[in-house]
Amino acid sequence: MKKVISYITFFVLIPAVTVGGALIFRDRQYAWITLCVALLSCIPFFLHFEHRADVKRLVTVAVMTALSVLGRIIFTPIPAFKPVAAFVIITAMYFGGEAGFLVGSLSAVISNFWFGQGPWTPFQMFSWGLIGLVAGFLSEPMKKSRIVLIIYSILAGVSYSLMTDIWTVLWADGYFNISRYLAALVSALPFTAVYALSNVVFLLIFARPIGKILERIKVKYAL
Amino acid sequence: MEILHIEDLSFRYPKAERNALSSVSFSVKRGEFIVVCGESGCGKTTLLRLLKSEISPAGDLSGSVKYLGEDSLEIGFVMQDPDSQIVTDTVWHELAFGLENLGLPCDVIRRRVGETACYFGIEELFRRKTDGLSGGQKQLLNLAAVTAMQPKVLILDEPTGQLDPIAASEFIATLSKLNRELGMTVILAEHRLDEVFPIADRVLVMEDGRAVLFDLPEKIGGELMKLGKDHPMLEALPSTVRICGSLGYEEKIPITVREGRDFIENHFGGKKAVLPEKEYIPGDSIAVELKNVFFRYERDLPDILRGTSAKIYAGEIFAILGGNGSGKTTMLNVIGGLLKPYRGKVLVAERPVGAYKGNSLYRQNLAILPQNPRALFVRDTVGADLAEVPEARGVKKSEREALVVSVAKRLKILHLLKKNPFDLSGGEQQKCALAKVLLSEPRIVLLDEPTKGIDASAKRGLSEILSELKSAGVTVIIVTHDTEFAAENADRCALFFDGELIAEDIPQRFFGGNTFYTTAANRIVREVCPNAVTVGQAVGSLANGDTK
Amino acid sequence: MKAFGSFHPAVLLTYFVAIIGIFMFASNPVMRVTALLGGILFCLLLQKKREIPGNLGFYIPLFLLVAVTNPLFSHAGVTPLFFLNGNPVTLEASVYGVFLAVTVIGVMMWCKCYSEIMTGDKFLYLFGSIVPKLSLTLSMAFRFLPLFVRRMKTVTTARRGLGLYSQRGFVDRIKGTGQVFLSVISWSLENAMETSMSMRARAYGKAKRTSFSLFRFTMRDGVMIFVTLLLFALTVTGMASGATDFFFYPRIGELSLSPLAVTAYSSFAILAFLPFVIEVRGALLWRYYISRI
Repeated sequence: MKKVISYITFFVLIPAVTVGGALIFRDRQYAWITLCVALLSCIPFFLHFEHRADVKRLVTVAVMTALSVLGRIIFTPIPAFKPVAAFVIITAMYFGGEAGFLVGSLSAVISNFWFGQGPWTPFQMFSWGLIGLVAGFLSEPMKKSRIVLIIYSILAGVSYSLMTDIWTVLWADGYFNISRYLAALVSALPFTAVYALSNVVFLLIFARPIGKILERIKVKYAL
Repeated sequence: MEILHIEDLSFRYPKAERNALSSVSFSVKRGEFIVVCGESGCGKTTLLRLLKSEISPAGDLSGSVKYLGEDSLEIGFVMQDPDSQIVTDTVWHELAFGLENLGLPCDVIRRRVGETACYFGIEELFRRKTDGLSGGQKQLLNLAAVTAMQPKVLILDEPTGQLDPIAASEFIATLSKLNRELGMTVILAEHRLDEVFPIADRVLVMEDGRAVLFDLPEKIGGELMKLGKDHPMLEALPSTVRICGSLGYEEKIPITVREGRDFIENHFGGKKAVLPEKEYIPGDSIAVELKNVFFRYERDLPDILRGTSAKIYAGEIFAILGGNGSGKTTMLNVIGGLLKPYRGKVLVAERPVGAYKGNSLYRQNLAILPQNPRALFVRDTVGADLAEVPEARGVKKSEREALVVSVAKRLKILHLLKKNPFDLSGGEQQKCALAKVLLSEPRIVLLDEPTKGIDASAKRGLSEILSELKSAGVTVIIVTHDTEFAAENADRCALFFDGELIAEDIPQRFFGGNTFYTTAANRIVREVCPNAVTVGQAVGSLANGDTK
Repeated sequence: MKAFGSFHPAVLLTYFVAIIGIFMFASNPVMRVTALLGGILFCLLLQKKREIPGNLGFYIPLFLLVAVTNPLFSHAGVTPLFFLNGNPVTLEASVYGVFLAVTVIGVMMWCKCYSEIMTGDKFLYLFGSIVPKLSLTLSMAFRFLPLFVRRMKTVTTARRGLGLYSQRGFVDRIKGTGQVFLSVISWSLENAMETSMSMRARAYGKAKRTSFSLFRFTMRDGVMIFVTLLLFALTVTGMASGATDFFFYPRIGELSLSPLAVTAYSSFAILAFLPFVIEVRGALLWRYYISRI
């Protein structure tokens, strides 16, 4: 019975809400759909975690999430300078892209209990999650080469800005107003630069030492 | 009726050279209270974890462990660290966690959680966050959370190791209540045997992975002595057992203070002895002086130090004792310059603390050993970690290694230098942390609860280091709950009470003058010899006289 | 004191999804303004009094900023007011700017209320029944956070007590913090493995987990959720029928006052002022009860 309900939710209710919303919110349908997509794209990862994760993995994800939120809290005084993305990337490098996605998206949810929830939460979940997921595919090259690591961390910082601003524009104007998007990007430029910079700084300082710790734990406790 | 049957159990960890357990056999009856003791590293933890299949370590196992109940879920397990066992963020959720795992319906959980909270007297904590609890409350919560699952057997691995004595007593009392009132079988591994011997039905003594003794608590002392006059476990036994055992009565040795007093009364009644007091003359120079110091954490909070004054002389071992949360650690941190008093003066080596610029207070001058030695480790090997101190002091790279090795030799931790600090036992971690402290070549060492969670032989090791430091002219200030340790090691003791240091005196007069706040040895023999405060002194005072 | 916050989490979530959803995506000025007012009133009740001036200092400039910048980016509309650098600044874009500012501030207000009311435990409870493992993971992360903060402090103090810190400058201090953070990572992961052992020892993974909570769905919750859904349905009907559509471009449109539209406006207004009314009623009742003690 429960399974039936979850299938109904998944295959009927969610698409219905998405389409229905798009019909009702006619002039904001793009914004609505993007919001739904951002949320929905998290669901497969959550469900997979729900079915597969064993205790150790669950605890590890919880610890890494708490640590990345702790990082964000420690660096609150410096605007936009946050270690979350770096932490997500490190997690993905050593525990795989899926763990990276989870730590990214959960960090967004949890840290926003301190920094304020809002329509930006799903986009933060999606962006940080995606940064983690992709980092999982690049884990080997990033472990070997610092250059790859630096390039990816800059890309991650820039794309974080690109992704979150798309929605702002769609929501404000109801369509993709390119001049507003460019303006938003320009005004966010200092922030984007700091995102990228903080990613590079944190990854250069922490990737190796944290990696060492994680490797040791993996061996010691057979993760 | 048997509930656990262990036969010829041997176990070896993967890649280990030696067996962690070798042919251990014993069986536990339903409703028994079993105490497991032995030096750290003797295989207690391995044995206990093998008794519960869900958390058994991987490795080569031979022999058998049989649980004769229905399901191994009926075995509850509590570990040492109160913090790491808590899973969720609120007390009520923590209590419900195990029941949720069993898949029980919500109203059953509601009822069980409620009755458990009442039984343990933690209703007031019910809606609190787990992180805001004290160590003792956390450990009680861990026990309650396990008990809510209605186990038939409770296994506890040094559950009081991180607690202060008052919280530890409370915890042990609760355990004893569970055992008496609900007939739960309890298997408890412990270092501090004074309180658990009287409630134990049988005691299992382990040594090098073997079960060397399994007998009634009153027989353990005698049996251990048969194994060897200086068996290392002897000094871990309760004071009563040690005193009465050393006097040569081996049949049935008393285990509680009351029985001990009766025993002394019967054998030595009427005798009066006063030990000669060791004359103690402190040196001339003052290492630390507090002049009318006031401290509070925040403007609106009450004073923790209320006009505290003290003089601690260079080269002495000074012990500060006192109740829980009385502010002993705060005082230590004020002396160490970590907290600033709002009124009064703290002088270190006759200079105000504030006059030390930058790190100079901690450069070959003063060092603090924190309560939790883990807090000092930041590198991945002990060696690298120790080298951090000379590095910070600006010692040349070529000379650092030699410094580290010489200190490591002194503390007998050379073999640990290549290991990761987190792979060490509590006692080993303590020694490595102490090594870190000594590497800063301090003239004054402040130790915060140095005997917490370490076993008797590690304590002896610590005593040796302290006396070595003393002979090198180092001043040692210890904050402790451990009356025995203070009595054995301190030159002077003081009680921290109501924001002030009172009753400063040499241990014999300090403890001899107290009625409640004194050592177990003193309680046992005080009718005969009021100023014998350590086991050694007690035995000495009695052995020199005639018996009835 | 929070009368509204004492509803069952499912009721609260439904309410917030309904109000914020409609508010964010409905482009009708009447609905937006009423909801903004409702949000402001609710927010005022939830806040500490001394925080209000600071918040005003934040929101008013933000409002002006959004309102003024829109006509600079958007040149749509047919009624130019004046020209700036050869670009027309239109009446429509200016009005839309004010409207956008109302929206931005309103969403922020309502999200603030949401954060105040939907605390971590309610959130966890709601998702505990749908995704139990994930919600447990979140709950553990909530539990670990303060623990790790405490550990950071412990390690920092311990290092200070040995003089293992540098006062030379920013970089050194960052390095020092990094060192402490690394040791907290090690310590925490080691401990977490013990946590996983404690979970297994408590039958984790043995059976299908149920999800226990202290929340109970009462009659009052039932009434509230019914009212919310009813008002939501009435509003959405109006929106779906197109009665509430409103256009700013190319020329500012006319506000529909058809029965369907008026129903939608009034339902949404009731929805928006509901928490405020409930809070005020709760406060009055509380005074009355207190007076009888």
